[in-house]
Amino acid sequence: MQDTICKRCSGALQSRDTESLQKVWAWLLAGMIAYLPANLYPMLLTSTLTERSESTIIGGVVELVEYGSLGIAAIVFIASVMIPVGKFIAIAYLAISVQRRSMASQHERHKAYEVVEFIGRWSMIDVFVVAILSALVQLDTIATINPGIAAVSFALSVIFTMLSAQAFDSRLIWDADRTQQ
Amino acid sequence: MSDTPPTNPAELDIRPVKQRIWKRLSLVWLVPIAALSISLWAAWQNYSDRGTLITISFENASGIQAGETVIKYRDVTVGEVESVEFAEGLTVVLVHARVDKTVAPYLDDDAQFWVVRPDVSVRGITGLDTVLSGVYITGNWDTEADVAQFEFTGLERPNLTTASQRGTAVILRTSDGGSITAGAPVLHKGIQVGYLEKPELSFDGDQVVVNAFIESPYDRRITTSTRFWDTSGFSVSFGAGGVSLDVSSLASLIEGGIAFDTVVSGGAPIRDGHRFDIFPDNASARDSLFTDPNAEVLEVAALFEESVTGLTAGADVRFQGIRIGEVSDINAIVVGDGDDAQVRLQAVLAIEPSRIGLGGEATADDALALLSEFVARGLRARMVTGNILAGTLYVELIELEEALPAIVTLTSGRYPVIPTTESQISDVAATAEGLLARINALPVEDLMDGAIDMMDSIERLANDEATRGVPASIVALADETRALVQSDDLQAIPNDLRNVIADLNGLVTEAEETGLIADFDLAIETATAAAKNIEVATQNLPAITAEIEALTAKANSLEFEALVTSATDTLAAIDGFIGTEEAVALPGSLNGALEEMRGFLAEVREGGAIENVNDALASANEAARAIEDAVSTLPALSARANRLVAQTEAVIESYSERSRFGAETLQTLRDIQEAADAVSALSRQIQRNPNSLLTGR
Repeated sequence: MQDTICKRCSGALQSRDTESLQKVWAWLLAGMIAYLPANLYPMLLTSTLTERSESTIIGGVVELVEYGSLGIAAIVFIASVMIPVGKFIAIAYLAISVQRRSMASQHERHKAYEVVEFIGRWSMIDVFVVAILSALVQLDTIATINPGIAAVSFALSVIFTMLSAQAFDSRLIWDADRTQQ
Repeated sequence: MSDTPPTNPAELDIRPVKQRIWKRLSLVWLVPIAALSISLWAAWQNYSDRGTLITISFENASGIQAGETVIKYRDVTVGEVESVEFAEGLTVVLVHARVDKTVAPYLDDDAQFWVVRPDVSVRGITGLDTVLSGVYITGNWDTEADVAQFEFTGLERPNLTTASQRGTAVILRTSDGGSITAGAPVLHKGIQVGYLEKPELSFDGDQVVVNAFIESPYDRRITTSTRFWDTSGFSVSFGAGGVSLDVSSLASLIEGGIAFDTVVSGGAPIRDGHRFDIFPDNASARDSLFTDPNAEVLEVAALFEESVTGLTAGADVRFQGIRIGEVSDINAIVVGDGDDAQVRLQAVLAIEPSRIGLGGEATADDALALLSEFVARGLRARMVTGNILAGTLYVELIELEEALPAIVTLTSGRYPVIPTTESQISDVAATAEGLLARINALPVEDLMDGAIDMMDSIERLANDEATRGVPASIVALADETRALVQSDDLQAIPNDLRNVIADLNGLVTEAEETGLIADFDLAIETATAAAKNIEVATQNLPAITAEIEALTAKANSLEFEALVTSATDTLAAIDGFIGTEEAVALPGSLNGALEEMRGFLAEVREGGAIENVNDALASANEAARAIEDAVSTLPALSARANRLVAQTEAVIESYSERSRFGAETLQTLRDIQEAADAVSALSRQIQRNPNSLLTGR
């Protein structure tokens, strides 16, 4: 492949990132892999004077629902489950639509991409909560909160997903459309 | 969109990418591959590190929570409960747990599991940490890996002895488990060196058996001569040193405790599971040192027909007075069946073979053989009263000569039965009753009345003035009588007589020399006559003695009232007699007569002339006659003395022989008698040999 050279800085120019889709899929896959232990392992290790509890994401949501804190349960559920899963689906959809030269509206797909990219950073809210709690609640025997393996996995999953979204070259949407035309 | 230069726009170079797929592969793919491999590795690691699943069954799972309750071994967490479920049929609770792979091989058949819960006892508080953390399961197993097991039965209560603990476990036997509880301390010289496990009934229900664990190195103090005794509770003893309260320790006060000591050397070292008896106290434990408590004991039964009231377990079994065992149990059994069935009282006798002459290694069978032989010869068991007051009995084995033939019955029950004979029970109640009845029958009232009457009479008599005067008068009389008898004059009579005889002797010698035998005969005749007179006189003297002897015999018949007057009279009469000139003069006149005779004889001797012999003999005749005259008054004197004695008789007899008056009187009478005897002896001598008066022999 003969790359075009930038006449100013002599850098190689490329009109499209030809490896974009590969990167998208690779990061997405890594993100999904990381998402599994994030849900299987406990997120928080809470040790109080009387008991020691480990709670996974879903387990925590269920507990919150049982305690009647539906609002918080909803926030946790949306931030920790729906958004990551939605991102996986959205990114996968975009990548597939580009590959399959989908007929769907370009505008809609652009919008979806914008949303995915925007919302990606907010997925880290769970990780921040865990990080802050772990840093603050270290009262030795009375109460201690430690991050579980799931927190690390979840953070990795979010990072991978964000990288996946970043790797997506939105211009491919146009190309697909044009090629079809 | 592409840039379009304002001038000379470059041609858009668009070419489809046609490259082989592996060349186009991005390095980014390494990331998911790494993620996947890490995940897979973690998953595999997790799976392979997963502990071995074991199942522990408990009666109940109080406090056990799946996923939280851990299993600890020596306070290190080695596993965790995964799930709790019921076994089929809801019989037990199954606790499934995973334990570390590293310890799983050690979980062999000696592994024990129990739930640690808070426990508050007098020895302290244990398991306090479980109040906050929740219960946990503690496992205990030794450090040797054997065939690993996966299913275990949990203990309801923690086992006190952990398998890895070093020490010796012994088995203690006692008849009463009321004073010991699980966990009670085992003390040695006041220091806890071990503890008791849970007491249990022995297989046959006769004894309480408890395992005791003595920690190393104290277990080395235990030998076969070690004795264990009960230290539970406290003892109060009264002694010369005052009251002594002995409390071993607070724990043993409440939970009971066992102490041991090895006093004598020479015991063999023991192994795990050695059996010891628990003695009720230190003293009995030490007393037992000289018998082997572990020796085999022969248990035989004796069936008694009488009531066994008073016979208790622990009572002695004696043979010829020597303790050979004790009664170990008393109960009632049914003998025979059907209509013949009757209840008999059975005393189980525990006989120690070593005490009936068999060696220390003798077995119960040896003892039974010996006993059977004895029974064939008439040995029987019977109950004998041990303590009359307490009514306690003991069993005595006695050999009866006329016993009916009998044998030891071996088949009728658990124990061989030895025949019994009629018991020898002293009923203290019956004996005491008989004694009281006899005392009751005594005529106590009559006796008292008589005594009171007698005392009244004595009092009346004693208060009488006359009575009071009697002793003084009698004493005075006695004194005077003695003075008379002992007077030198009276005493001198025999001497004078002797002098006279000596003189006569000399005279006769001279007469013989002069050959005037013929004339001498006359003198002899005269002397013989004199002697005869003396004889007559002295004949009364023995009579006096007889009278005196008769005196005592008549004493009792006299009335006392009359006695007083007669005694007074007698005293007066005696006074009169003593006072008469005759009595006083008698010795003097006798003396005079003798002096006269002596003077005559002296003259005869001095004269020496033969021609005067006739005169001399005539004079001698006269002298003899004078003596005769003098002596003739002796009968009168004797008669007077005789009367005197007769009169004194009543007085003397009215008084006790032992009273002072009686003694005085007797003394007097003896003096009189002596004097009379002296006279009597002289008279007899003269009578036997009248010639001696002349010959002096």
